[in-house]
Amino acid sequence: MATDPTISLKIRTALGEYLKRDPDTILITQHLRDDLGLDSMAVIELLYRIEEAFDLQIPDQDLVGLTNVGHVVNYVEKRLGKTASPASTKKPAKLSKPKGKKKS
Amino acid sequence: MRARVVVTGLGVVSPIGIGVSEFWKAALSGQSGISAITSFDPFSMDGYRSKVAGQVRNFAVERFLDSPHGERVDRYAQFALVAAKEALADSGLQMAKENPHRVGVIVGAGMGGMVMGEREITQLYQQQKPHRVHPNFIPVITLNSASGIIAMAYGAKGPNLTISTACSSSAHALGQALHCIREGRADVVITVGADASITPLVFAGFCSLRALSSKFNDQPEKASRPFDRMRDGFVMGEGAGTLILESAAHAKKRKARVYAEIAGYAATSEAYHMVIPREDGVDVAHTMRLALADAGMTPAQVDYINAHATSTIIGDAVEAKAIRQLFKSRADKIAISATKSLIGHTLGAAGAIGGIASVLALHTGQIHPTANYDDPDPACALAGLSRSAQERRMKVALLNAFGFGSNNAAVVLKQATK
Repeated sequence: MATDPTISLKIRTALGEYLKRDPDTILITQHLRDDLGLDSMAVIELLYRIEEAFDLQIPDQDLVGLTNVGHVVNYVEKRLGKTASPASTKKPAKLSKPKGKKKS
Repeated sequence: MRARVVVTGLGVVSPIGIGVSEFWKAALSGQSGISAITSFDPFSMDGYRSKVAGQVRNFAVERFLDSPHGERVDRYAQFALVAAKEALADSGLQMAKENPHRVGVIVGAGMGGMVMGEREITQLYQQQKPHRVHPNFIPVITLNSASGIIAMAYGAKGPNLTISTACSSSAHALGQALHCIREGRADVVITVGADASITPLVFAGFCSLRALSSKFNDQPEKASRPFDRMRDGFVMGEGAGTLILESAAHAKKRKARVYAEIAGYAATSEAYHMVIPREDGVDVAHTMRLALADAGMTPAQVDYINAHATSTIIGDAVEAKAIRQLFKSRADKIAISATKSLIGHTLGAAGAIGGIASVLALHTGQIHPTANYDDPDPACALAGLSRSAQERRMKVALLNAFGFGSNNAAVVLKQATK
C-alpha cells in the first residue's frame, strides 16, 4: 500500500524517539507489540505523540485497528484527508490481547 | 522473640551531595546546600516572598542509572531510584541470591510527582484541551510511583508500601519497615524517603502559608537556622535517602556490614491542628517516650538527638520544650543536631536523610554541625547544639519527625553490637 512519505517519516521519527533507535530501522510492516516491543501503555503514549504531531484526536474506538506501523500511517493519512469519521469507515482489525493489563 | 532489625546500606541524594560519602563530608564541614532559586522558568521569582531553597544541582537521572526505570517517573522518584541503587550496592545485597518475596520496599513521600503534576494541570487549565493531558500523568503523580518503580527495578516482590504523612513520611517509613521485619513479613526492606517539589505551585503554597524563611533571601546559606533567635521559617529542600533495613539474622547469615540497629519506633497524633503543633510539647515528649519504651530503653540512655528542627519559630521551641520535659536535667548533656540547617527541609525525605545522619553519627562517632546556630534562642537553647562538628561516644540516637496533619514520629537507633 502506498503511504505518504512525510507522514510515514513523522510517525517513524516519533517511534524512533520513543524507542531511542534510528527511525530508518523501523519498517512500515512492523507490529507495534510483537516487533517493536510496545506494551499497551507504550502504544497509548505513542498515539499521544502522534496526536500532538498531527494535531489530531484519536477516538478510543479507533485504537483497535492500529496494531502495526502501516496501520498508524494509513490511519493518519485518512484523518488528514477528507474522511469525516474514520471510526465508521473501516472495520477494525481484530484486537490482539494487550501485553499488560493496567490496574486502576 | 521479635527479630532485631539492622541497617546495612545507605544511599542519598541531597543538596550537599549525591552519594553518602560526599554528603557526609559536606555535612561534617557544615557546608550549606541552600541557594537562591533564580527562576521558575519561564517566570521570575519576583512574586515570591521566599526565594531560597536546598536544591539538588545538576541532577540528570541517566548519569546515575543504567536502566530505563528513571525515564517515566517524576523527579522525586528518580531521586529515590538513585538513592536506592547506592544503598543496595553499599549493602552488598544481591537480589539474585534473595527470595524476592522476602524483600520489601517502603517509601515515605509527602508531595510526590509534582513536577509533571503542576505542568499538566497548568496546561489543562490554560489550553482547556483534556485530550492533551499526558497518558503518564496518573501513573506519575500517584504517590506510590517511587515504591513501585524501585520494586520493578530490583524485582522486590515483598510488601510494597508508601507512607504519606507530610514531613514525617520517611520516619514513619523507617518505623513501618521495622515492624514489617520484626513481624517476620520480610527479611529486607528497602526503606526510602523522597520528595522533589520545589515547583512554582507548591513553593507558592508554602509561601502563602507563611511557613518559609524570607529574611535571608540575599544570604541563602543563612536562611535555615534551627533554634537560632533569628530564625523565621523553614527553607524548602529536595532529595532522597535510602536505608537498607534487614533482620539481624539475615544480615549475619550473609556476613553483611552492620551500621546500626533500628531499635524502636512510635507514631502518634496530636489531634490538634493541621499545621500548628501543640505549644506545650506534651505530645512530642510522649512520642519520644513511647519510641524509647518500644526499644526497651529509658530516656537516660539517649546520647544524640537528630532533631526535626525545621527552623520555624514555633516548631523548634516546641521540640526543645519537649526534649526538656522528657530528659529533664540530662537535656543539656545530649548531643543534638539539625540536618535541615544544612539542606533545608526535604519534606518526605527528611526522616530518611536525618536517619542516615543518625546512623552515621553512631557509626563514626561524629555529629554534623547545626549551621547558623549563632545566637541561641532562650526559648529553645540546648547545650548539646553546636555550630561545629562534635565527636562523641554514642550508643543510642533518637530521630524526631513531625508532620502537617498533627502527626509525630520518633525512631530509636542503637550502635551496632560488635
